[in-house]
Amino acid sequence: MPLTSQPIDTSIYTTITAAIRSEASRLFTAGEVVAIIGYAAARRVGSAQPIIITNAADAEKLIFTHACVNNLAVYLTKAKKEIPKTGKIGVVVKGCDLKALVGLMGESQLKREDLYLIGIPCNGVLGSTVQPATALTTESIASKCCDCNSHLPTGCDFVPNVALPPGLQMESRYSVEIARLEALTPAERWAYWKEQFAKCIKCYACRQVCPFCFCEQCLCDRNKPQMVDTTPRPAGNTAWHIVRAMHLAGRCAGCAECERVCPMDIPLNLLNRKMAKELKELYDYEAGFEVNDKGPLTMFTEKDDQSFIK
Amino acid sequence: MSRIGVFICHCGENISRTVDVERVAQEVGRLPGVAFSTDYKYMCSDPGQTLVKKAIQEQKLSHVVVAACSPRMHEKTFRKAVEAAGLNPFLCEMANIREHCSWVHENREEATVKAIDIVGMMVERVKKNRILPTITVPVTKRALVIGGGIAGIQAALDIADCGHEVILVEREPSIGGHMAQLSETFPTLDCSQCIMTPKMVDVANHPKIKLYTYSEIELVEGYIGNFQVTIKKKARSVDEDKCTGCGVCMTKCPQKKIPNKFDQNIGMRTAIYVPFPQAVPNTPVIDRDNCTWFKTGKCGVCQKVCGPGAIDFEQQDTLIVEAVGAIVVSTGFDLYTIAEKPKGSPIKGYGEFGHGKIPDVIDGMTFERLASASGPTGGKILRPSDGKEPKQIVFIQCVGSRAREKGISYCSKVCCMYTAKHTMLYHHKVHDGQAYVFFMDARTPGKSYDEFWRRSIEEEEAVYIRGMVSRLYQKGDKIVVMGSDISVGVQVEIEADMVVLATAIQPQKGADALAQKLGISYDKYHFYSEAHAKLRPVECATAGIYLAGACQGPKDIPETVSQASAAAAKVMALFSRNQMEREPIVARVREAGCVGCFACKKVCAYGAVEEKEIRDRQGNLIKVVAYVNPGVCAGCGTCQATCPSKSVELDGYTDEQIIAMIEAL
Repeated sequence: MPLTSQPIDTSIYTTITAAIRSEASRLFTAGEVVAIIGYAAARRVGSAQPIIITNAADAEKLIFTHACVNNLAVYLTKAKKEIPKTGKIGVVVKGCDLKALVGLMGESQLKREDLYLIGIPCNGVLGSTVQPATALTTESIASKCCDCNSHLPTGCDFVPNVALPPGLQMESRYSVEIARLEALTPAERWAYWKEQFAKCIKCYACRQVCPFCFCEQCLCDRNKPQMVDTTPRPAGNTAWHIVRAMHLAGRCAGCAECERVCPMDIPLNLLNRKMAKELKELYDYEAGFEVNDKGPLTMFTEKDDQSFIK
Repeated sequence: MSRIGVFICHCGENISRTVDVERVAQEVGRLPGVAFSTDYKYMCSDPGQTLVKKAIQEQKLSHVVVAACSPRMHEKTFRKAVEAAGLNPFLCEMANIREHCSWVHENREEATVKAIDIVGMMVERVKKNRILPTITVPVTKRALVIGGGIAGIQAALDIADCGHEVILVEREPSIGGHMAQLSETFPTLDCSQCIMTPKMVDVANHPKIKLYTYSEIELVEGYIGNFQVTIKKKARSVDEDKCTGCGVCMTKCPQKKIPNKFDQNIGMRTAIYVPFPQAVPNTPVIDRDNCTWFKTGKCGVCQKVCGPGAIDFEQQDTLIVEAVGAIVVSTGFDLYTIAEKPKGSPIKGYGEFGHGKIPDVIDGMTFERLASASGPTGGKILRPSDGKEPKQIVFIQCVGSRAREKGISYCSKVCCMYTAKHTMLYHHKVHDGQAYVFFMDARTPGKSYDEFWRRSIEEEEAVYIRGMVSRLYQKGDKIVVMGSDISVGVQVEIEADMVVLATAIQPQKGADALAQKLGISYDKYHFYSEAHAKLRPVECATAGIYLAGACQGPKDIPETVSQASAAAAKVMALFSRNQMEREPIVARVREAGCVGCFACKKVCAYGAVEEKEIRDRQGNLIKVVAYVNPGVCAGCGTCQATCPSKSVELDGYTDEQIIAMIEAL
């Protein structure tokens, strides 16, 4: 946490909102898309929620503010009940959300030609524990935004023409926390995670919100044979979170939705960030920047680290 | 309810010495589902197998567990026995209480308890076994032979003589390989070319052999019985159909000073050339790197003089796809070049021997070319530096071979014999010359081999000095050889006119890349690995691929020819049936759970995973899922381990079976 909280410039978000609306209206009029997934104002002052619009008249409902926290990628895979089955879909994406879409394309879940990407130049959104009406500051900002490396999404079909105000240098909260945990002894670290996992109530909100948890039948729901204990007991909880961390290694680009929705405040994204760090160090791989046929864990090259073979 | 029969083997005393087999039989007999349990001294013997078969019929057994040795040893034996008694063979499992228990423990009580646990696990596992029907795949009765040396030629001729089509692919412009380069052969001193070239002609004339020279393997897809091989036919710049092999182009080519690789670079050739006069096919190749036309766009003499108009400067590399059922790999060897330290190799060079720097230090193959009647000197032993006849010649053995500190620990096997042959050839051609041989020890196992070696010493006057050479250096026009004679413990210094090094045999360069294309394994020196060192010496672990010759390890000609015929016999056994049976241990996709992420397809080393569309009755696409082609699947289980939703199961090794085993503990 920075010692003093500094305000972050979000003035461009107004321009962005106007640009999204006019582009959305144009897209429907020209018949280029059948639906657009974006954000709209919600009931509480300053809050925002996902919306799916299917006509030009609703374009006025679209907004972009620093409360637009959700990763909308999930509406393209498993939460697509309200999405038309045929035709091009427009989707509003921040840089972090785009990484998930890129990953999903690499895993044959989405096709680029089925999507119209409306990219958002983003200076950050609010943290999960902050009231939506709060102004964006170096303190209220989401942890994932502190070390964001994709303020400006690339490869989109449309990006509002605004100049990003110079970003503030912020300390990476995840890096600090990972460094703290790495410095612990294995026993201390285990004690820390045991305490965290003990809180889990197996509500599976993390699974529900994760763009990469797209399996129709999660292996953790299977009972013949049962892979993971389904009751919220320490052993099953630990198994669940470790399975998830392993399955996301090399895929998760750190949108941190799991952490945002966790009602028990388990620092779930920390696990994913740690895995991402390992992959960066081992294979110089970073998820979400290009559509890759094979990720580092489904590929063998002679350059791969083999020091573990004794 | 299962009626499981458990059969505990004593394995003579191998198991019963440490494990109380009777107690295991008793305790396991009480497990739920076990209807019958017994022990016997040798379960794999005929009476033992009869015991199993009788019990299946009399006790109406539904499943069988044999507690004995490793399934690698006898799983097939017992599955066959079970099948003979009328059960599906895959309802039989083996519990390994020998390698996993009796052989590794001493305490009888603890080993017995462990054996009971191991058998108990397999009892729980076998309850979950399903009937697996045997998979049959069609067999394409055409063979591919890679490499046209004596190994490839022999294998191709044997298979073709049996009536099957053979595709023979050779990288160089002519078949013949290293044997065509040799002068005489041990232990009979018959001329290598005289016995080799008729076989080469047989290949060229054989109606069942399709020959691709100057060609390489680009891609290998498919599996045993059904390979698709892409062959790159390099541009020869000569139309093979038009060329009559008259050779006018070669006599007229103005580029005449190009070192000929066939003559170990001591003889010269033209830019349009055949590597040697007896080449098969007798169609020249234009060496584009050295041809004036390709370098400057001028010349074209060969084109002007060619009567049939066969010269084609525009020719391109072409890709040809051939369907074959079996592959024989016979890519042969290369000689270790001691002058340079190969890049990225653990092998350290022999700078102290001056090979490559002192012109009259040559390797054994160069000596073969000097001694060969068709070689650059017409069979006269002459020094490369000044063309004089060497009167003192030193042969050094084990250069590179058997030198752990230099990176190669194996014996190259043929050098002792060919060096003995070299001393004889030298003695026959230079009557007043003296040959010295530095050797570590002479290895002469083989019919008439030792007699041959003794002859070189006793009749042909070669002086053998037991010891190694530490240094070679040029002094005037002599080469000073500094070595030791360890049998008398003195330092020896010989002023030689020429030195011949018996350098180590290594696999061909690029052997590893070819192995990766074929999906076969190789050792740290890049020699190809056989499936079993003793019992399956010509088969690769990858089904349908066989080995012949020095690509598998150093070999002499008789051994290479035997192995080539053995590989051909294996291919013919495969081709004797129209359909081939495969073990049904293959992966299966549970389509309901598959979300089509194709992680399985990405990790499959065999290309067995395909995409399958699922459509409703109106033909609308519902989803795309993975499909495992059972003919291609090798049952490695990587897809099963990778699938995030556990929608792939490996038959015979399902999660249910494995978890049942764990829970039994």
